[in-house]
Amino acid sequence: MNVVAEQPWLWAGLGSYLVATLVAMWGVSPKHADSALVAGKRHEKVVLGFMLLAVALLSVAIAARWLRIGHGPWISLFELLMSQMWSLGLIFSFLYWRLPGLRPSAVIVLPVMWILGSWVLTLEPGISHFPATYYNSWKWIHVGIGKIFLALMLTGVGLGGVLILRTTERGRVWFRAMPADAVIDKLAWRLMMLALVFDSLMLIAGAVWAQDAWGRYWAWDALETSAFLTWLLLAIGLHVRLSYKVPPWVSGAIIIGVFIMAFSTYFGTPYLSPSAHKGVV
Amino acid sequence: MQLWLRRLASLKFTLVGMLLLGAGAAVSYGNPVDVSVWVLIVPLALLALNLSAAIVTNPGINRQPGLLLFHVCLLSTVVLAGVGRLTHLDAHLEIAEGQAFSPALLLEVQKGPWHMGDLDKVAFTQGHYTVDYEPQLKRGLTHSTVYLPAPDGSLTPRDVGDDRPLVLERYRFYTTHNKGFSPILTWIPDQGQAVTGRINMPSYPLFDYKQDNRWTPPGTQQEIQFWLQLDSGLDVEKSWVLDGRNSSAVLVVTVGDRREELQKGQEVSLPHGRLRYENLTTWMGYRVFYDPTIQWLFFVTVAGVLGLAHYFWQKLNLQAWMDEAETSSVDNHGASA
Repeated sequence: MNVVAEQPWLWAGLGSYLVATLVAMWGVSPKHADSALVAGKRHEKVVLGFMLLAVALLSVAIAARWLRIGHGPWISLFELLMSQMWSLGLIFSFLYWRLPGLRPSAVIVLPVMWILGSWVLTLEPGISHFPATYYNSWKWIHVGIGKIFLALMLTGVGLGGVLILRTTERGRVWFRAMPADAVIDKLAWRLMMLALVFDSLMLIAGAVWAQDAWGRYWAWDALETSAFLTWLLLAIGLHVRLSYKVPPWVSGAIIIGVFIMAFSTYFGTPYLSPSAHKGVV
Repeated sequence: MQLWLRRLASLKFTLVGMLLLGAGAAVSYGNPVDVSVWVLIVPLALLALNLSAAIVTNPGINRQPGLLLFHVCLLSTVVLAGVGRLTHLDAHLEIAEGQAFSPALLLEVQKGPWHMGDLDKVAFTQGHYTVDYEPQLKRGLTHSTVYLPAPDGSLTPRDVGDDRPLVLERYRFYTTHNKGFSPILTWIPDQGQAVTGRINMPSYPLFDYKQDNRWTPPGTQQEIQFWLQLDSGLDVEKSWVLDGRNSSAVLVVTVGDRREELQKGQEVSLPHGRLRYENLTTWMGYRVFYDPTIQWLFFVTVAGVLGLAHYFWQKLNLQAWMDEAETSSVDNHGASA
């Protein structure tokens, strides 16, 4: 097997996420509730430390690839997954640090990161072609805002997952250190509101880029339609919550549903659709 | 009336409209030709009505400045997008090196019924261009030079290409992958005036294998077939720059069973006159786009998101949430104990 420059750093980063996941799981387990590390919540610092280490290692992996192929992680699925694991880890680490109440939800968030991590391991790190339309500076704004949107959604998924799992006895034990359902639900939807702001900005920046790159701001191509459906689903979720008194687990299921749509928009549609949206023409 | 408006403004009606719009967008996925645009227009119209009524009657919207701004901007976005479709123009253009733009050159023109652009005021002349290719013909940057007339009568060059369109009178001209070679020919009939013109060959290098075209000289019924034997330096295994100035070609002229090869400047005698191969030039394909609402759309959508952000910022107050979480967490422990 031919190992390229970024791969050892990528593997080390994934290893660091794995350690963070295991420590987070160890921390919620009732078997270790009496341990001094868990009782003093010091294990949370270990989780945060390994998440930040993973982000640092992935930064090196991205930089090594950038130097090797001459452009940033914009094109192939391998690059996108690596880049998303970096940004999701960075933003989730920030929220993990700032919002202690959501920390146990890392046992849901980090395995989602591992779906991306396992996926990237199956892909070839081949050199991708950098299309002419990708020199546009709006790409940075579009992609950067999109990363914040997806990270907010992922954090919401962690909280939504807690709301669903708390319908079981085991879930109530695991997440005993978290606030009441109503409080989690409120935070989850505030993150969704913030996600809607960033999703809207991402669509606007994307439309400006599309106008420059392909001579139209919106053409209902497969990726645009998928992105619009994600935005609409998020708006529907917010309006459902305004119109009806939804139980916490339903609230969590709605958030996870929106995230699945966003996930397929990011990692499915661009690689399944034959549309020219990627600009690789 | 007020009751009727309140019913129209119902959040449940909003949800129905959103679900219909989602269904419309889902069936439009990938732009299938057999799906009518009405699957999007009808739910958008319903939502616009619902939103207008909500803005007037719902204090949850009209007493919150941020939320009001967002919803007004959302409504304005739908209206502007509609106006944009009614006034737009989409077209293609194939213009040869040295040729001046004329509205008559536009192809596949699609325009809204209210289109009122000043296309006649658009003036530029196409110059040469270069296109970078990586190995395996992966297209890189396009640099197309166009010349714009200055008030003193001189021509000012401007470099356009890819995401740098030429914008004149709000018309936006984007280079495309569609471009090629264009031999200049002079037809000297046995009787009458000589005419000089060009024949655009198929897109290059996409149709590298079939650089041919046909033409029938005016006043005759004899079709002439042209085939261009190109030397453009193309090697698919290497990086390459498509540049008409570094390309040459032999023009193969076929009339019936007769076949002649012409170098630049050579001519051939045919039954009704003589044909001279003057020069080899290039042509560039542009996408032409006109929509007077795009700047307004940008400002309105950004203003809307700022309104939304303002509203959510008041709601977020993470410190308050952390305090609440702290208290709640203590309560939980107390309850379980």
